[in-house]
Amino acid sequence: MKYNLTSRDRLIWPALLFVVIVWVGCVSESDEPKLSLYRFEKPSHFPEPTYTFQNNDVNEKGFKLGKMLFFDPSLSRDGSVSCSSCHVQSHAFADTWLHPFSFGVEDREGVRNSPPLFNLAFQNEFFWDGGVTHLDFAPILAIESEIEMDESFENLVHKLNNHAQYPRLFKEAFGVEEVTGPYVLHAFSQFMLLMVSADSRYDQFVKGDQNALNQEEIEGLLLFRKHCESCHREPLFTDLSYRNNGVQKVITDLGRETITEVSQDRAKFKVPSLRNIEVTSPYMHNARFEGLLQVLNHYTEGIQEQVNIDPLVFEDGKPTIKLSDPEKEKIIAFLKSLTDDNFLNNPIFFNSNE
Amino acid sequence: MKNIKSKLAISIVFLFSSLFFSCQENENPNSISQGEMIVEFDNYVGNQNMVIDEVGSTNYRYSTANGQEFNLTRFGYYISHVRLEGPNGEVFIDEMNASADANQIKGYYRVVQGESDTYNIHLKNIPEGQYNKIIFNLGVKEDGIQEGAVGGILDRAAGAWFWNWNSGFINYIIEGHSPASLRDENRLQIHIGGWKNIPSADENPQRFFDNNVEVSLPFDATVRVSETMRPSPHIIMDLLKVIGDTDLAIQNNIHSPAAAVPFVQKLAEAFVVDHTHQ
Repeated sequence: MKYNLTSRDRLIWPALLFVVIVWVGCVSESDEPKLSLYRFEKPSHFPEPTYTFQNNDVNEKGFKLGKMLFFDPSLSRDGSVSCSSCHVQSHAFADTWLHPFSFGVEDREGVRNSPPLFNLAFQNEFFWDGGVTHLDFAPILAIESEIEMDESFENLVHKLNNHAQYPRLFKEAFGVEEVTGPYVLHAFSQFMLLMVSADSRYDQFVKGDQNALNQEEIEGLLLFRKHCESCHREPLFTDLSYRNNGVQKVITDLGRETITEVSQDRAKFKVPSLRNIEVTSPYMHNARFEGLLQVLNHYTEGIQEQVNIDPLVFEDGKPTIKLSDPEKEKIIAFLKSLTDDNFLNNPIFFNSNE
Repeated sequence: MKNIKSKLAISIVFLFSSLFFSCQENENPNSISQGEMIVEFDNYVGNQNMVIDEVGSTNYRYSTANGQEFNLTRFGYYISHVRLEGPNGEVFIDEMNASADANQIKGYYRVVQGESDTYNIHLKNIPEGQYNKIIFNLGVKEDGIQEGAVGGILDRAAGAWFWNWNSGFINYIIEGHSPASLRDENRLQIHIGGWKNIPSADENPQRFFDNNVEVSLPFDATVRVSETMRPSPHIIMDLLKVIGDTDLAIQNNIHSPAAAVPFVQKLAEAFVVDHTHQ
């Protein structure tokens, strides 16, 4: 069939215009300028995001409202802790080494290490056990957990409605007369969705800058791809699966089994991303290791036979990963090239609350 | 130049026509007559009307088949994906929409015992015709969860029955007290939820359970919906059909999809259309 460019061409502009007008006229009434600073943009080398942006697109007012909530300790039952208490930007929104486990109201100690927060738009399941299946729902668990903020989500929304500023800010961001649960969660998500970490020296390297990594780091990358890649898959540095890598000497935390209710998932935890790993010590859900060398030593020598131990790291009665000391140094050098200083220092995330 | 002008002219026509049409409410394009139906839910425990008692009450109004007494402090269920069918191929599918805006939520209903305004489900925009069957989903399916935060009766901050640790709604909730339960306050909690199946691919058992239940109920008589006729089927739900054979000494603390499976198999049988008002 012959392709008739001109007749088709004639139809394209009115058709496009039609689509744009319908879209602008009925879907979005946004009158604010589209500042790229507050828009979600998929890094070119990343997969498509999975977040439901069609229900909650990021904009400046929603983002800033989410930030205000994130830093606000009055959300917790006694006003003592905020999200930012355990999620610190300079640590890629993980906790500092001072708190190996999350901490909550009345200095209650949690049971797992606070995970870092970034690249959440690309994940389908949240927390170490993956029980939360949508980013919007993640804050509810931290808010209502007795060992974290210990506040009912219902009462939190009640407090926001009686606050001097929040009702006006919700109206400006979402056009609502009353603060309700979904808009609180949408604001949180907007703040977290822009936590995209994709600008480390490794990223510069894979995007074509051959000088972004030095020789040792490049050798580390090759070793990483040989020994670690099957679980910590690029570019997110996780395959988003759940595995038991043997970090519990005695299994006290059932991990993924709590959610799926099958013993085959006992002691499995989500494979964490390794981006910004340099600043997220201590490591593992139980904060067992303070240093990266300890982690690598665990994989080469530390793992013991255990129920559901992952065959990729332990088989035939011994650890599968074999690394010499110089190889470990190279891998660690490479892992440090995953630190994204622009993300860790991005001023849009700075606390601007009073 | 001429080409550009004609393009412009066409564009302008499109612009105005689309401005004109795109935002209009587009109701009854073929002017088919529509009507309404009110589906009434009436909850029973055996042959007793269901009554909600205060938390802590030791007034045990009901008992199971083996004589274990209990009362209820909270009871209700979600209903969604309502469909009507008629003898001549009539089909009405209730529109569904999950949204953060409570006013935009469509097709989700919640019956809460003790709140009489929740007992009647008001179906609208039903094509005129005869109907003799109602089918609905008991619970909230994936399409009400994976769109993210939603409002109204699905807003946890407004009392929605939602699991925060294993995302999903409690489709059918039973709370009360029973002397047979040796938990604190003789507590009885049966929370039935779960919205996905991950079937076993190997020797492993199934992960998660979709505990949504399709309930299909023939009417006792064919009814007619029209602009002037608004029939009302009256559905009776009997809790004893669900927990009448349960040993409340053991099954008094159900909070997960797998644990709820034995109850789920009985849920569809708990509902029956008692009679229909034309």
